[in-house]
Amino acid sequence: MIQMNGRDHDWYEGMTIQSLITDLNYTYPILLIRVNGTFIEKENYGNTRVQKGDDVKIIHPIAGG
Amino acid sequence: MSVVIAKERVDEMKSSRRVLKTLEYTPTKVQKGYTDKTLYINLTDNQVEFKDIPAVVKEKFIGGKGYGLWHLWKGVNADTKWNDPENEIVISPGPIAGITQYPGAGKSLVVSISPITGTVIDSNVGGHFGPLMKFSGFDALEIQGKAEKDVVVFIDGNKGTISIEEAPVETVDSHILAEELTEMYADDEEDKRHISVVSSGQAAEHSYIGLLNFSFYDKRKKAQRLKQAGRGGIGTVFRDKKIKALIVKYKGVKGDSNAPVDVEKIKQVGMKLHKEVHDFDDEQCQMRQVGTANLFETMSDYDLLPVNNFQYGSHKDAAKTGGRAALKKVLQQDEPDGCWFGCSMSCAKSATAYELQTGPYKGQKVVVDGPEYETIAGVGSNCGIFDIDYVLECNFYCDTYGVDTISFGTLTAFAMECFERGVIDKEVTQGLELTFGNKEAAMELLHQMARGDGFGVIAGKGVREMRKLFVREYGADENLLLDIGMESKGLEYSQYVSKESLAQQGGYALTNKGPQHDEAWLIFMDMVNNQIPSFDDKAEALHYFPMFRTWFGLQGLCKLPWNDVEPISNRSVEGPEAAKVPEHVQNYVDLYNAVTGNNIDKQEMILQSERVYNFQKVFNIRLGVVGIEGDRAPYRSMGPVTKEEFLSREDRYDKQMKENIGIDPEGKSLEEKMKITRDFRESQFAQLRDTVYKRRGWTVEGIPKVEHLQNIGMDLPEVLEVVQPYFK
Amino acid sequence: MNMKKLEKYEEKCIECHACEDICAKTYFKSEDRGKSRIKINEALDEKGQKINVCNQCGECMEVCPELALTRDKRGVVRLDSSKCVECLMCVGFCPYLSMREHKDHLEPFKCIACGICPKECPTEAIEIVERV
Repeated sequence: MIQMNGRDHDWYEGMTIQSLITDLNYTYPILLIRVNGTFIEKENYGNTRVQKGDDVKIIHPIAGG
Repeated sequence: MSVVIAKERVDEMKSSRRVLKTLEYTPTKVQKGYTDKTLYINLTDNQVEFKDIPAVVKEKFIGGKGYGLWHLWKGVNADTKWNDPENEIVISPGPIAGITQYPGAGKSLVVSISPITGTVIDSNVGGHFGPLMKFSGFDALEIQGKAEKDVVVFIDGNKGTISIEEAPVETVDSHILAEELTEMYADDEEDKRHISVVSSGQAAEHSYIGLLNFSFYDKRKKAQRLKQAGRGGIGTVFRDKKIKALIVKYKGVKGDSNAPVDVEKIKQVGMKLHKEVHDFDDEQCQMRQVGTANLFETMSDYDLLPVNNFQYGSHKDAAKTGGRAALKKVLQQDEPDGCWFGCSMSCAKSATAYELQTGPYKGQKVVVDGPEYETIAGVGSNCGIFDIDYVLECNFYCDTYGVDTISFGTLTAFAMECFERGVIDKEVTQGLELTFGNKEAAMELLHQMARGDGFGVIAGKGVREMRKLFVREYGADENLLLDIGMESKGLEYSQYVSKESLAQQGGYALTNKGPQHDEAWLIFMDMVNNQIPSFDDKAEALHYFPMFRTWFGLQGLCKLPWNDVEPISNRSVEGPEAAKVPEHVQNYVDLYNAVTGNNIDKQEMILQSERVYNFQKVFNIRLGVVGIEGDRAPYRSMGPVTKEEFLSREDRYDKQMKENIGIDPEGKSLEEKMKITRDFRESQFAQLRDTVYKRRGWTVEGIPKVEHLQNIGMDLPEVLEVVQPYFK
Repeated sequence: MNMKKLEKYEEKCIECHACEDICAKTYFKSEDRGKSRIKINEALDEKGQKINVCNQCGECMEVCPELALTRDKRGVVRLDSSKCVECLMCVGFCPYLSMREHKDHLEPFKCIACGICPKECPTEAIEIVERV
């Protein structure tokens, strides 16, 4: 398990930020991502491993409409 | 390609004019964003008056929507209906409107009693009319009464003349009328940029969803472009008053026309935002490339795009027919389309030389304004239609006929669902095969509204009136239609599926004018980001955002540059505060202070809105929209109404039943599961409503408390008089 | 298309600011270097430029809502004051930060390749080039 935006989310071996984004189908062009409070730059999504128990926040800065 | 108006046509219009009233005036110079003058026109007796706006009104109502509501309140009584002569149309920009250096600062707010809701409606619109009217000497234009025959009102802000003239031969449809009047009033091509026209269209005469088009002259395309005051049927009131058009002409807009106290501050804030748009828009929202329609494929990806009358939230053809790449093929991208000077966000898009396939203008090549997100989703996906050419065609005709694409989309989707479920048949629709996806039938419905014949006249009265008719005349199941008819207060929902966001269900229903998302758009904050999990969190958001967003309407501003470009500073803002975009809120505080010379902060800003918001709430109560029934939400906005809907997302609902409700779905029948889900969701909504009312200073019945009105400074005697009976 | 512009050779610039002084004096009768249409940065700006001056690329013409910026027959982009509404989008959108503005003026201003400043430059770090 990880915490994904404050909710329980299944974890698997080899999970990265990029694979998580893909699993969740988060296609919005701007995402603000923090893992355990540390900001992750877009170019590092693929090489940032998500560990069991991590607190991941993937924020969509969209309050529009 | 623009409509070309021949000299003979102009001569014909001129010679058939009959002047009813003309007068000269000395335009009051703008000072610190204000002229403190209202132009009052009564079309029944062609009375024209220049009214001073009292200081206390300026302090409490600020401008824009605040001025509109205040004038309207004075003009009508508790029994006034939309088509009574005392109903008014008030147009007011606001103190910030008219600056040229900051994006989105040329808006007009239009206020009236709506034919579709029976209560107050306000609509925020671009185009040049509002600022040019202010520079011509007026903070507000208040129109009351009804003309006997079709008229136009012309304001020349340089010469200082106003005239009311019978205009029998001018075309009613906007794409032609705006060009005819521009050709008539402009001295030459260069002069056309100084003219803005407000007009409606034929369908506004036969429906309750009429809109107003506000024009701005596009120097590149050499055409009047149209921006819409869409919601709530103000165009219907306009045509009922027999107004064909309002025209303003003013030459001389410069960076200090709004006479601000600190223009340098405005310049600095403006340039900063221009640069943000320049640096970030391509990688963020792409507003400059595709406008608000950039959201279409995103909404489908997140199961939020209304499909087939809000039954479903996504569709496999969404990206193909309305995705960013598809849009870029049909829209002009190489030209900056701002609806007022200095709008670097430039969301106003157009498709040029679109050849019309249907209707009275078939075969003509025209400029189509838009399509905006709301239009692609409303007339497209929500009606099961995935065809960009249809969207352009329908968008064009809605605009020129003067009807709101949002209401047209939602009411057509409702009629389609009723047709598919056998609630109505071809006898009722008078031959129209109104199945989801039938674009020919949908287009014909629109043309019928314009001609005033067939089922178009019935549908044009909106979802609420259709529902009543189907129940009364055709034995329809009222409960089903209450559930699937996507209206609240009589206004059709705008185009977002709110089933999985409780906060947004409130953002739609717990509103003053009805389910337009301009008060609050909380879906991502709530559903995806999970930043406002508790009832108190959601209620706080449903206090802050409606108040904050109301402020745009007081000032004559557009909401988009606030959060459709994200400044670097926002990366370091954590939690729900980020959704406020603090740096940009400060920009607005700075702009207001720089224009007016006042010294407000972020708290005072919210208080300015809170006064007007509560005034509008009391206005609703005065007109009979009272209590929790006034904030009723159809169940489709909260959860799955039908078996098909439930089954289409069964895994989600089962999971929620187990995790959120605490009931194991195993072994339960479909009906049982639907009932458990419904009971839970409805109780959640009720709890949210109670929490929001409390946060807003209202009773459990949604009546603003006297003490609250006193605390915020909206305790005018006439306001207290309306609420006091509820506290006896 | 004709192309006339002020060419720069940053390695030759000794930061004497003579170009700024003559420009501000010529166009604004001012000794305020902030009013010069060419700017010399002692620390490089965010685009890495030491000499910031318009290269007549014309991107500003695209963003102007009033068509107030046009290219003349020699290829120089010029601002028509009678049309400018002082919105400053051209300032925010200039890819080289070369559209200039100053607190004393609402209207932006830019280099029009007039050729006055190269005459003042002691190191030939700037010159007018013209291609036909």
